[in-house]
Amino acid sequence: MSGNDINRRDFMKFMGLGGVGAATLSGCDMPTTITLEEGKEKVVAYLAPEEYAIPGIGVYFASTCQQCPSGCGVHGRIREGRLLKLEGNPKALNGRGLCQMGQASVQSHYNPDRIMQPMARKGGSLQPVSWEEAWQIMGEKVSGVDQGRSAWFTGTVSGHQSKLLDALNQAWGSKEHYVYEAVNNAVGEAVNEAVLGDAVPAYRLDKAKSILSFGADFLGTWMSPVHFSREYVKFRTGDRGVLVQVEPKMSLTGANADLWVAARPGTEGVVALGVANVLLTKHQVNGNSLTKAALDLIAEYNASKVTEISGVGGDSLVRIANYLKDNSPSLVLSGESANNHANGYQNAMAIMMLNVLLGNVGKTIEASNSMAFKDLKAKRGNSRALLDFAKAIDAGKYDVVFFMGANPVYTSPSHLGFADKLAKVPFKVALSMFLDETTLAADLVLPLSSPYEEWGTTVAPYQPKNAALSMSQPLMNPLSPETKSLGDILLSMLKHHGVAGYAGYDDYYSYLRAALAGMPASVKAGKSGDEFWSASVQRGLINAPSSPGSLKIKLGDIKQPGYQANSGFPMHLVPSTNQNMYDGRNANLSWLNEAPDQVSKVFWDSWAEVHPKTAAKLGVKEGDFVKIESDQGAIETQIYIHKGVHVDVIAVPIGRGHEEYGRYAKGVGVNPLKILSPAEDAESGELASYATRVKVTKTGHSADLSRLGGSERQVGRRLVSTVAASVFRRVEGA
Amino acid sequence: MSLKNILENWSDYRRTAEDGGHHDYEHMWAMAIDLNKCTGCNACSVACYAENNLPTVGKKRMMKGQGMHWLRVERYWDEPDMGGDEKEYQERGGSFLPMMCQQCNAAPCEPVCPVAATYHTPDGLNAQVYNRCIGSRYCSNNCPYRLRYFNFYSYYEESWPEPLNMQLNPDLSVRDKGVMEKCTFCVQRIRVGKDAARREGREVHDGDVITACAQTCPTEAIVFGDMMDKSSKVSKIWAAHEVELGKHEQHKSDPDLRGYRVLEGLNTDPCVTYLERVREA
Repeated sequence: MSGNDINRRDFMKFMGLGGVGAATLSGCDMPTTITLEEGKEKVVAYLAPEEYAIPGIGVYFASTCQQCPSGCGVHGRIREGRLLKLEGNPKALNGRGLCQMGQASVQSHYNPDRIMQPMARKGGSLQPVSWEEAWQIMGEKVSGVDQGRSAWFTGTVSGHQSKLLDALNQAWGSKEHYVYEAVNNAVGEAVNEAVLGDAVPAYRLDKAKSILSFGADFLGTWMSPVHFSREYVKFRTGDRGVLVQVEPKMSLTGANADLWVAARPGTEGVVALGVANVLLTKHQVNGNSLTKAALDLIAEYNASKVTEISGVGGDSLVRIANYLKDNSPSLVLSGESANNHANGYQNAMAIMMLNVLLGNVGKTIEASNSMAFKDLKAKRGNSRALLDFAKAIDAGKYDVVFFMGANPVYTSPSHLGFADKLAKVPFKVALSMFLDETTLAADLVLPLSSPYEEWGTTVAPYQPKNAALSMSQPLMNPLSPETKSLGDILLSMLKHHGVAGYAGYDDYYSYLRAALAGMPASVKAGKSGDEFWSASVQRGLINAPSSPGSLKIKLGDIKQPGYQANSGFPMHLVPSTNQNMYDGRNANLSWLNEAPDQVSKVFWDSWAEVHPKTAAKLGVKEGDFVKIESDQGAIETQIYIHKGVHVDVIAVPIGRGHEEYGRYAKGVGVNPLKILSPAEDAESGELASYATRVKVTKTGHSADLSRLGGSERQVGRRLVSTVAASVFRRVEGA
Repeated sequence: MSLKNILENWSDYRRTAEDGGHHDYEHMWAMAIDLNKCTGCNACSVACYAENNLPTVGKKRMMKGQGMHWLRVERYWDEPDMGGDEKEYQERGGSFLPMMCQQCNAAPCEPVCPVAATYHTPDGLNAQVYNRCIGSRYCSNNCPYRLRYFNFYSYYEESWPEPLNMQLNPDLSVRDKGVMEKCTFCVQRIRVGKDAARREGREVHDGDVITACAQTCPTEAIVFGDMMDKSSKVSKIWAAHEVELGKHEQHKSDPDLRGYRVLEGLNTDPCVTYLERVREA
């Protein structure tokens, strides 16, 4: 917000008009706390306090969490000008709930390793510079760049920031905007688009009576986990639906399943065909919705063939089919472990076939509403962007690249040689809050303000029914006056390039105010521009007009490869995603390092999960270090043993093993993404991150595994007691 | 609450389950946690770190069991003697159990404190007075749930490097070396709710106070409230599942009602009722 004429006092006066949220009033018998840090804050008498600022009283303001791409609405608790705690915005898609990432995002805001001023590469290393100098360097390096020789490489972006970014790219004559997310649902979206004509339809967990999920960790990391958790409760109460999870390594969703089934990585499509086979033969489900070719193919996949390829027993196939048939309507999902393979698209297509066969399309998979503000919609990330971008920079396509919200130097596999290729780009600008691996490779670093220090709008990538813009507002003064929001930086660049229509805005705040004032009268619901602005900021959400969409059903060809054994590298590497670290962005937060992994309960380090049988074969016990070697390199980490892993699998979570990224992340654990073999999904071009084969050997070293202590068994005591669903339905059923 | 008062009126503050002493309490704060809804996502635990100024202690100290997680989510694997099986794979997933101080009415930690630093409030809370605590750790030794956490070091020295310290909640203290601490049912939030009600000249309504863990829970598995208010959500859940305070064994009209208290047979009379996890087979 630098360079504008609105100071904090005015801003807060304005905010006071809104009086956002539930002000919790504490008692006058509480000790009055006046924060005054020597030399840091001005002494301002409280004789005439701001309307909202009553010492000792917390006030809540609405904003938007940006810790993962889901875009949950939050209420931030402010006391004496500081943000203290975040809660979910009850009006938003996530309701009053927030996940651990959202709770910990306040640590991102106050992180001791934040970049507090611009930096430029001088004599080989990054040195602090002033904004004047930073803009001067930008002017020299960027202004003269030819059309099409610049690109943006970002994480998920949406709202008015995305709109400004588009405008800037247009002005530069470059359409090159790579949107990359290491954790994504791109293959599933491609299949949805092909079959249903809707890349992100509404998954109605609440309407389903049974869910068969092939690796879609909707309670942990899939698309919008807090929202799905809320829907999951509706699914689990009353008549209580049945959840079956098929995957190579137990995810959080898998840990909540009624039936968890271990499948060899990449064979999920075969399991889907096997289930279809049972449905058609045993249950005589009407196959009219499928083509002759599809039915013929399904007929080939009898139990013995499916078991041979996938390792899933015939009895499990029958149980799955029974659950789906007996608990209608059902919903079949495909997620990360099914999608991210060389045959990922085919897996997702076979899984979608089950939805068609069971008649779920239109019942539990509904058309999404299309939001009227097309230019504000979320640009969803994928991993193909990484591969395409690597090719482009290798070919010397760009003179200038801007990075924001993505850390490809850390998340890219070694075989891409990303860091070396990046060196071929003459000038790299990183807009970042932290000195992560990618930011440290940049020539110019522009310090971003935190999501809780800036203005902005966000459109959640998954909000199929009630389209809305989620507002971001500064919840407190910026920790450093030298940081700027993405919106402000983009606006400055647009003005610098003399793009028509932006000269009148002093800052991004005034741009946003004007943009909202210019929204259609139907959106403003009869309010004046100022009233609408206050209401939007107060509520944290703007409902956007949307029109109902429709779904078609056009199933593509279904084919599945046979299973290929690899004697040199007999095991499958599963680079699993957990909610603590996500794609590695949370590794610099101490709370999420200390919070144990949801399933293994390991903290502050990496680990490798194997099945007891596999451990016996390898001759390892918990805590032993093993060497996990692919054709691209090796990592060493400690073993954790449990029965939630396929016997042919070794699972190492992603997110740790940073070489940089601050005191909490640097040098902790290993990064399995580095040893991925080169493989892509043939149809979608996405990175096949689950297709790597490895050889695992004992190193001989051993140490205690950093796991939440105590017994993993209840030794017969009633700590967690379990009842049968039939009992639950009888006593508490609808 | 002076020490003199406590010593003189010892029997008022030291209740046994048989007294049913809670009946004349002003409030009786309690929880109900539905394990059919709980997914084990851990949001409650991190929310507790944010609300209650819990320090992070690092890998080494965590491994020594010195983590300060007032609320931890335990995970157990199924086993045959708990209705599971010995199949090749973990077919029924995991069993998650969010564990925070159970605020026992007959708390084993209370009578062993040599300085009455832990005692029962007329709100039914098992309170810990940091200023009075001398760090004997007898209470922790006596807690059957292992839910008391001791400050072996001055964790604040390393846990909140600037500007992380700005996030600290001024509504409660940062504890120093030598002091025992544990879940308080977010007593600072209870205070705010009670004060607001008093100022408005009314009773505390159900929903006025919500703990940090319950508020953030994505599935609303944790319900918090006042057992003295018979219309509160938490009272209704306890009543529906026929779990009663002041008992070490529940006699239910239907044995299939899901409510139970962890290690109830120890006669601790905990204020947290869990509703059983549900599995298809």
